Amino acid sequence: MRRAMSKPQPMKSVLVVRHHLIELIEHWAIAISGLALFFSGMFELPMANRYYVTSLPGLGWSGDFLVSLNVHYAAAVVFIIACVFHVVYHGLKHETGMLPRKGDLKQSVEVIKTFFGKGEEPPFAKYLPEQRLAYVGMAVVIAFLIFTGLFKTWKNILAPDMNLTLVLWATWLHNLFFIMFFLAFLAHMAAIILKPNRPMVRGIFTGRVRRDYAEHRHPLWIRDLEGPQAPRPEPAPQAAAQDSVQEDEPGKTAPQEAAEPDVKG
Amino acid sequence: MHEKRKQGISRRSFLKAAAGAVGAGTILPQAAQASGGDSVATLIDLSRCDGCPGRYVPACVEACKAEHIPGMPAPVDPIPVPFPRAVIEDWSKKQEVSDRLTPYNRIFVQQAIVEFQGYKHTISIPRRCMHCDNPACATLCPFSANHKQANGAVVIDPDLCFGGAKCRTLCPWEIPQRQSGVGLYLHVLPTLMGNGVMFKCDLCSARLKEGQKPACVEACPRQAMLIGPREEIFLDAEHRARQMQGFIYGKAENGGTGTLYVSPVPFEVLDQAVKKGKGRPGLAPVKRKMDATDTLGAVTLAAPAVGLVAGLAGSIKSLADRRAKESKDEARHE
Repeated sequence: MRRAMSKPQPMKSVLVVRHHLIELIEHWAIAISGLALFFSGMFELPMANRYYVTSLPGLGWSGDFLVSLNVHYAAAVVFIIACVFHVVYHGLKHETGMLPRKGDLKQSVEVIKTFFGKGEEPPFAKYLPEQRLAYVGMAVVIAFLIFTGLFKTWKNILAPDMNLTLVLWATWLHNLFFIMFFLAFLAHMAAIILKPNRPMVRGIFTGRVRRDYAEHRHPLWIRDLEGPQAPRPEPAPQAAAQDSVQEDEPGKTAPQEAAEPDVKG
Repeated sequence: MHEKRKQGISRRSFLKAAAGAVGAGTILPQAAQASGGDSVATLIDLSRCDGCPGRYVPACVEACKAEHIPGMPAPVDPIPVPFPRAVIEDWSKKQEVSDRLTPYNRIFVQQAIVEFQGYKHTISIPRRCMHCDNPACATLCPFSANHKQANGAVVIDPDLCFGGAKCRTLCPWEIPQRQSGVGLYLHVLPTLMGNGVMFKCDLCSARLKEGQKPACVEACPRQAMLIGPREEIFLDAEHRARQMQGFIYGKAENGGTGTLYVSPVPFEVLDQAVKKGKGRPGLAPVKRKMDATDTLGAVTLAAPAVGLVAGLAGSIKSLADRRAKESKDEARHE
């Protein structure tokens, strides 16, 4: 606040766009349909009746395997469309910022150590090294779930007598990756519990994160966002960041466009 | 004796015998010789079955028991009590039960005394798994322990089954029967997950692989049960139904099955007359419930294509917008 008074920033916003609308839609479509897939998949096991889940309000349907199969299919439609769209859309636009880079594994270990008070975090690009690794891990899990799930769906409708070995592989891989999906989901949730990551939570709901957080933790991203000629950004005042939501106006370009190629970095 | 007989019949001699038996109304499972290939079907002619009067249990039931009981695993003692529903199904001490389906009794004969067109009929109806064309019990088994084989037999693998009884819930006739205290679940989470192994007729799959007929078919003294290539069995069933001005059950039930009953009495009438309940299925018409999920399943199969098209369209538009913006910026700078 004191700094802002002594040296006013020309329309320097307090928030910066981290995710565009299309990315938010992708994320939430995958997240919500993924959870629906998880629970309807659980209900394909003979457990809802056994464990009285059917007695819970609104879950009377959970004991009906065909209803839960329809829920599973409906969620799978959203999930698959969102995942394929994500790969094609960002792939064709060469937006590869979430893909792992050389040294990510080693750097991830260092970053995780800092969560426990050992050492200091290095300056980050838009995504943390462990985020990039987790992204690939989740992508592999999801890819297996989709392929095996489609295979099982094909069998259900068109080929009930297909080769047993293939069916067993598809079924058990689907079950295995179902467990891994759940573990990955838990890890994803655990990551946002960590204090340093919490400012990012806002981003996945609103698309924007606090500029002071971004400048402090993701200076490489902000540098890319504002162009190489841009001066090092000064920390934004904490107080101003609390309520005001200004459109980002970094460097030479408008915020939306400036944020457009950021995943390259 | 039984083993001797098994070893004594070669595939060639079996086929020879089969060819000779066609004239007597017995069509042989040529297609089932190697468990693969074309599927087989069975025909149960209720005008021929008399329930084996004078026998303690019908011949088919006795043969089935003799074929399968020796291979039944013994349940652990005590059987773990499942949590939270403490339901244990233990038939090991009631192996002799023969008037309903149990893990130890995979075929039984229902009796129906009915009046039809002014005549009194006593109909005996051997009941077992129908071996459906697209069986939900198999396709929706969460561990693929139950599977429809290429020869048409729907077979539960007791080494993979957890005994959750989902197959029984999904089966319109509730055919599979559970034996608690046996199987894989004992080695995983015996009180929390699973409850035994489901058992049902497997069309004597092991015998089919060896070129033999199912035990019940072979044992029937009146050739009331036949097995053979599906198309031939279906033709035979139509022929018999025409001849006796009778009725067929199993052709359309649950979307089609591999078991056709032919009867001189309508099956709705028989359904009213037979004793029904747990392990005693009825004979009412049955629609395939999984039809209700096929539409969304088909949409699921199309989803990757939809995602691909949407991704292509979205990225092309976005790239075009970016280029237009860059051109505009360049023009502005100039």
